Amino acid sequence: MTMFHFFNCAILTFGPHAVYYSATPLSEYDTLGTSVKAALVYLGTALVKLVCLATFLQVSENDGFDPYQELLKALIGFIDVAGLYFALTQLTHRNISQNHKFQAVGLGWAFADSVLHRLAPLWMGARGLEFTWEYILQGLEANANLVLSISLAALASLIWLRKNKPKTLIPIIYACAGIVATMPSITSYLRRGLGWYFPKVVGFELFTSLVMAFISWQLFSACQRPSA
Amino acid sequence: MAALKKSTELLESVYSVVALLFILLACVGLCDAAAAVDVYRLIQYDMSGSPFGSRFAALNHHAASLSFPPGADLSRTVLIIPLRELNITFVREYITQKKPLGGLLFLLPEVLSFKHGGNMQVHEKEKMKKLLAELERLLVHSNIACPVYFAFENDDIDTVLADIKKNDAMGQPATATTGGYKLVIPTAEPKKVVSPTITNIQGWLSGLKADGDANQLPTIAIVASYDTFGAAPALSVGSDSNGSGIVALLEIARLFSLLYSNPKTRGRYNLLFGLTSGGPYNYNGTQKWLRSFDQRLRESIDYAICLNSIGSWDNELWIHVSKPPENAYIKQIFEGFSNVAEELDLKVGLKHKKINISNPRVAWEHEQFSRLRVTAATLSELPVAPELFEGTGSLFDGRQYVNETAIIRGVKLVAESLARHIYGHQGKNVQIFADESILAVNPAYIRSWLDLLSQTPRVAPFLSKNDPFVMALKKELADHADEVNVQHENLEGIFTFYDSTKARLNIHQVASVTFDLLLLLVLGSYLIVLFCFLVITTRGVDELISLFRRPPSRKVKTA
Repeated sequence: MTMFHFFNCAILTFGPHAVYYSATPLSEYDTLGTSVKAALVYLGTALVKLVCLATFLQVSENDGFDPYQELLKALIGFIDVAGLYFALTQLTHRNISQNHKFQAVGLGWAFADSVLHRLAPLWMGARGLEFTWEYILQGLEANANLVLSISLAALASLIWLRKNKPKTLIPIIYACAGIVATMPSITSYLRRGLGWYFPKVVGFELFTSLVMAFISWQLFSACQRPSA
Repeated sequence: MAALKKSTELLESVYSVVALLFILLACVGLCDAAAAVDVYRLIQYDMSGSPFGSRFAALNHHAASLSFPPGADLSRTVLIIPLRELNITFVREYITQKKPLGGLLFLLPEVLSFKHGGNMQVHEKEKMKKLLAELERLLVHSNIACPVYFAFENDDIDTVLADIKKNDAMGQPATATTGGYKLVIPTAEPKKVVSPTITNIQGWLSGLKADGDANQLPTIAIVASYDTFGAAPALSVGSDSNGSGIVALLEIARLFSLLYSNPKTRGRYNLLFGLTSGGPYNYNGTQKWLRSFDQRLRESIDYAICLNSIGSWDNELWIHVSKPPENAYIKQIFEGFSNVAEELDLKVGLKHKKINISNPRVAWEHEQFSRLRVTAATLSELPVAPELFEGTGSLFDGRQYVNETAIIRGVKLVAESLARHIYGHQGKNVQIFADESILAVNPAYIRSWLDLLSQTPRVAPFLSKNDPFVMALKKELADHADEVNVQHENLEGIFTFYDSTKARLNIHQVASVTFDLLLLLVLGSYLIVLFCFLVITTRGVDELISLFRRPPSRKVKTA
């Protein structure tokens, strides 16, 4: 019964990635290599972030919200963005259209994030006899993270890969990218500073991820029109 | 070639590390529980081959309270019964009719736990004492085919129980399909205790030898049995039975060692102090101890006073004898005690119980002396001899059941009576152990030993040969006596005991199988919907339809 629960939470956490890959044209164009490379880049970025956090951050006793520490964490979070830039621009991809490139990179990024952050707690915790809602909420969070990663990848590809963008949209693109990139800091502020409970935070994440996905979709199609 | 070999080696080592990691991860204990409680198991023993007590230790069942729907199948359920809701007839029915039951968990009020030592109202004490005595009597003498545990109530377990009661009231007993709480005790099967030992400790205080031969000095023996037996061996501290006796013996030994340290005040009697084990088992230890005596020593014993439960009496103590009261020696002892009792403003009565040699049951310790023709008497607050395994350290016999004043008065009674006999002051109104003197009874000594005894369970089969408590008793007696001897014996063959007396209970809140199935259904449909949504938005609706229409189109092609 408990392995059953583990199986359920695992398909909730990792299923959407597989479904995304197989449902969209990504599988037809065989972009698995790109996703794997993006996952490896995420791994490298995570290690760099870990080292920076260990060096610069002080461990606080209480679980409250310290603005300076959070600011530092946000700055270190931008290393994420740098990693994404590297994955999008520097890695050699086979000849795939930009449309699919950002999706593949976003997918690989989100998959690596889920595996690194959620697989170990899931394996340790969900197999026990004790039942908690935590792992189901974690799975929903993984879904929201997938959507956010893909939108971030879309906005990033707009910023760095597309040369001719309508002038008016550029600040909006940058603003949206900024919001999505700082999403981790926002959620941690909500959890620690405002003391929101986990279900509420997950609901907020799901909502914002859908909103940001919609906005980035609109921006992407808007930028696509002139060149098409 | 070398490079290839190296790479395969590397791969192999990576594989082995990964495999090791997986094995390690799989073995990590899964132990988060809603609550974890210390529980104490019912004793398990065989007497002459017949099994008694709870025969199992491991537990892994759902929990239910007493308000379960009638007619429910309890063979895979543990009943949690707090003491205040205990219905003895119900439990007796289940046990005697051998109805299938997954387990029993009795919740004792927190005041009884030795960490707490709270105070209870007097009439509540009496009620609880009676209830616990009846429950213990039922459990100890029955053969129960399921695990039976005792636990102390605390906030965690109270909330869990309230939750369980709510669920039961709604008419759904907890099973695999309806969720609820699961009680897990992961212990191994209980094993027999191999050759349980009983350890007798004796201390010898030599009297003043006259210029003649030394060995002819008469001896007076003071004996108390120190081990206990109760329904829950890990909780069997026996503060009154027989912690009070041990404490009194140690204090008397201390007082007389003070007197005997100075040759001018040393009496013309040897004093033999005996801390015997094996008390609950028909005073088996005392018998073996006496049998080990030299014939001359046994004959030199004038009389022996056995102390048994002198910690919770108000005004009346009893001297139990097996020789008829008309016997000169008995009369002398009784008169001595009565005189001192009068001065101390308490009553002492004499009770005579004949020994039946054919009956193996030995109810008082003095009977073992009497069977070997040594004059002996037992001083006790109990008017009637206890039954087998009763009154030897039951669940309510904790620190708050015994009071020091009673013990202090008992010590004064025995010490004064002995001293008057030794120094020949019978009938004279002389207070040797007066208060405020050097020889006063020390309440702090009594209190500290009583506190220690009330936290030490002392069931003999579970005390090893070099148990720290036994060593402590030996050391204490050595401080007061000239010579201390320790005798190790094996417990009488008709008893066999099983270990596993204490465990940790994990209470898990579990979800039912139906919940998991439902969740699987929901997730499956979510993923299918997601799949269709993505196919439609990225490739178009036609693509989705074509996914389902492929087989027919192939048929068309081949045809």
